[in-house]
Amino acid sequence: MGTNTTVNYKEEKVVYYKVLVGLLLLTAVTFVQPHLFMTHSTFLAQMLIAVVKAWLIVIYYMHLKGEKLIGSMVIFALFLVLVFFVIVIGVDVTNFQFGAESYITAPATTGAEHVTAPAHH
Amino acid sequence: MAHAYVPEIAVDREGNEHVVQGWQDDFYGGKLGFWLFMLTEVMMFGGMFLALAYYNTLHPQDFLDASASLNRLLGGTNTVILLISALTMGLGLLKMRAGDVKGSKLMIWATILLAVLFLVIKGFEWTAEYNHGIFLMHGEMLPESTMAFGKKLFFGMYFTMTGLHGFHIIIGIGLMIWLLKRINAGKVSPEHYILHFNIALYWDIVHLIWVFVFPYYYMIGAATGGTSGH
Amino acid sequence: MSKTYFDETHCAIGHPKSTFMQWMLTIDHKRIGIMYAAVMFTFFFVAVATAFLMRLELFAPGQQYIDGDTFNQAFTLHGVIMIFLFIVPGIPAIFGNIVMPLMIGAKDVSFPRLNWFTFWLYILGCIIAVSSLWVGNGFADTGWTFYAPYSLNTGTNVIFTLVAAFILGMASILTGLNFLVTIHRLRAPGMTFFKMPLFVWGIYATAWIQLLATPVVGITLVLAIMEKYFGIGIFDPAKGGDPVLFEHLFWIYSHPAVYLMILPAFGIMSEIIPVFSRREIFGYRTIALSSASIAGIGYLVWGHHLYTSGMADIAKTVFSFLTFFVAIPTGIKFYDWIATMYKGKIVLSTPMLWALGTIITFAIGGLTGVTIAMIGVDIHLQDTYYTVAHFHYAMLGGVVFLLFAGMHYWFPLVTGKMYDEEKAKIAFYLNFIGFNLLWFPMFIAGYLGMPRRYFDYLPEFQIYHQISFFGAIIFIVGLVYMFYVLIQGWRKGEKVGVNPWRATTLEWHLPSSPPPLENHSKVPYVDFDPYEYFHGEPVVKFDANMRRID
Repeated sequence: MGTNTTVNYKEEKVVYYKVLVGLLLLTAVTFVQPHLFMTHSTFLAQMLIAVVKAWLIVIYYMHLKGEKLIGSMVIFALFLVLVFFVIVIGVDVTNFQFGAESYITAPATTGAEHVTAPAHH
Repeated sequence: MAHAYVPEIAVDREGNEHVVQGWQDDFYGGKLGFWLFMLTEVMMFGGMFLALAYYNTLHPQDFLDASASLNRLLGGTNTVILLISALTMGLGLLKMRAGDVKGSKLMIWATILLAVLFLVIKGFEWTAEYNHGIFLMHGEMLPESTMAFGKKLFFGMYFTMTGLHGFHIIIGIGLMIWLLKRINAGKVSPEHYILHFNIALYWDIVHLIWVFVFPYYYMIGAATGGTSGH
Repeated sequence: MSKTYFDETHCAIGHPKSTFMQWMLTIDHKRIGIMYAAVMFTFFFVAVATAFLMRLELFAPGQQYIDGDTFNQAFTLHGVIMIFLFIVPGIPAIFGNIVMPLMIGAKDVSFPRLNWFTFWLYILGCIIAVSSLWVGNGFADTGWTFYAPYSLNTGTNVIFTLVAAFILGMASILTGLNFLVTIHRLRAPGMTFFKMPLFVWGIYATAWIQLLATPVVGITLVLAIMEKYFGIGIFDPAKGGDPVLFEHLFWIYSHPAVYLMILPAFGIMSEIIPVFSRREIFGYRTIALSSASIAGIGYLVWGHHLYTSGMADIAKTVFSFLTFFVAIPTGIKFYDWIATMYKGKIVLSTPMLWALGTIITFAIGGLTGVTIAMIGVDIHLQDTYYTVAHFHYAMLGGVVFLLFAGMHYWFPLVTGKMYDEEKAKIAFYLNFIGFNLLWFPMFIAGYLGMPRRYFDYLPEFQIYHQISFFGAIIFIVGLVYMFYVLIQGWRKGEKVGVNPWRATTLEWHLPSSPPPLENHSKVPYVDFDPYEYFHGEPVVKFDANMRRID
């Protein structure tokens, strides 16, 4: 990766515009999704779209394509975040034992509808 | 270093020569360093998303209700603005690498303009929320208000995370102005564009954070609420 | 007489004439390392003095010299300085800076100006942390962990400490980033990852922890500040926040931080043992990979700090299970070191003495850690003196002892002179005896139920506190004497050549002692392993142009 790699301006510009169109389309999908598909798991659908968008940005706008070393570093960091989520959310919070008697899970003043709210999605 | 850097040569026992990588003029090193810095951003926002998911798990319904009340129109507009700014930034870098310094500067100016526009819209959004009594240390967010815990936590995290994201945008604007100065001074050129390259990467990570912030705050409750909030 | 790095330097800005400004603006990794050392040891003694004050108060039950609130501030000050200002940046900032580039044959780190900036960021953090002693309502009294919700409600200057910890964290991140790029980019030609000295492996694993774990505590501190001043509710149960989340986020960093401290220390051990055994290190790859796996597993065990905090039972079990795993790679290292010494020609110089002493103290510190990794035992021992003794055996008896070992080992490299070996050995024995006398009684006191962070206690614990007190006096005398011997060595010591220990790694093949500004005269081609000895003699030899002549 020297500093003098020649640039095929036209070709790379086309890539930028193509990715832009893709991202705009995905953003549009974001807006229609709650009324169109996976209406009962909006959260999951939205996050999946976000992951696709992020992937496009990282690969094409940030030029991660073909970067072996940096790519594996990025994957390592993302994996670590994932592990934190699995342990804290998946193992600890979803098994929260004191949901019924805890002050923080039961709203202090607004009605009683959440008192027995289950501590998992 | 002002003078041209000449790399050293190491010789092995067979007499073969090997170029020694110095810390000067190390384009890949600069890129690697900046990627590592971006990983720290990932971990930082990862930590905040973890806190957000933590309370989301404890108060799922409150989070959907609170999300439904955000202004999706302004949020969506900002998403598109950032998207386009990422394009202008990328094209600016491309023009720089292709030798078109003037066009590159124009693109950076366009990015700055879009960034400012983003902040202005964000400002309108926050003002509207303030007027609805939802803002840090104000109205419904005060400890004595009766708003549900889940909603308070949602909005608390909302202002923290979008605020921190906005702070990154402000830093980005500062960096781009600095970049323009460096280009004018001839320190960044089609031959030495590592600074431009890294600032473009920075702008992409700012965009990338928004790609996740936007759906998590604005869209998860979209099915339950209308198309726009207040 | 050739010029050394004490005579000339590159500067971040301009070319100042005065020696003082040359030091302030220097971007030379060796000078920056020395400045880190000077600042850190100053703070180290401040924290030692604070600890001694607490020991003095605890000599007898009841209140003698300081009241409870001051005691709370004292252990916070001790913890904050020791953790954030001394031991976390410690070995990487001192020896990572001074020695690591020399070991891989580089002229400097990858971003020398960033290195300079990082140093001053560190100084800024130090100033903010300490300044709260004299401003407002005094130093924080939360303990170095800033547990919510108390840290959000206390009237003391927690904000200063939080901001300082954030800035010091940033300095730590940038150091790690710099070292990672340096190790990836600036190794001498031919030096593959498995030809690097083991200290560099330690620094590499550490740098990953610095880079990826520190941002999590950074954002935790930011969230705590946001909570304290903007009431976002995140850690305050009154607004629905969960303090356990704070503990999760805090320990996601702070437990890997423990490995961040110990890994470069293990690196120093792996340098010293083969050199003074005159033998190639046993199991090079297993030591290198165990560093990496300690760093990896270290990310997954933070929950053992939360056994009594109200975490889900299943999570406790998972964390307990994962915690035991850390003992495996650590054990591998210990066996490798002992196997290296077997049938070696052991030279009992001061660095080797410190290393051997550490094998004993860290084994105690490490194994007592395994006992409190068990949930049931930990319920009994959590927040007792047992835990205090455990982590002091691991941190002081592991990390700091090895820091001292490294200090003696690389002393001739940095100064070009030698300290008085006999006196340095006396200093070691004083330290070693004082240390064990100071901390070992605490295991017993803790097991019998003496809680930590109390400024008063029941009379039945007095005997343990008194033994500790006398240990503390011996230990402090030993510390002062050790530094006296080293400083005397620097001022009046005998000049020694470039390789007084007959070591094999690249930092001992410099053209002059102390090294010149840009290190090696020529960069060598590395086609050999770092610790090659044959019949007790180093195998690899170089001529003046760093070409191999063996």
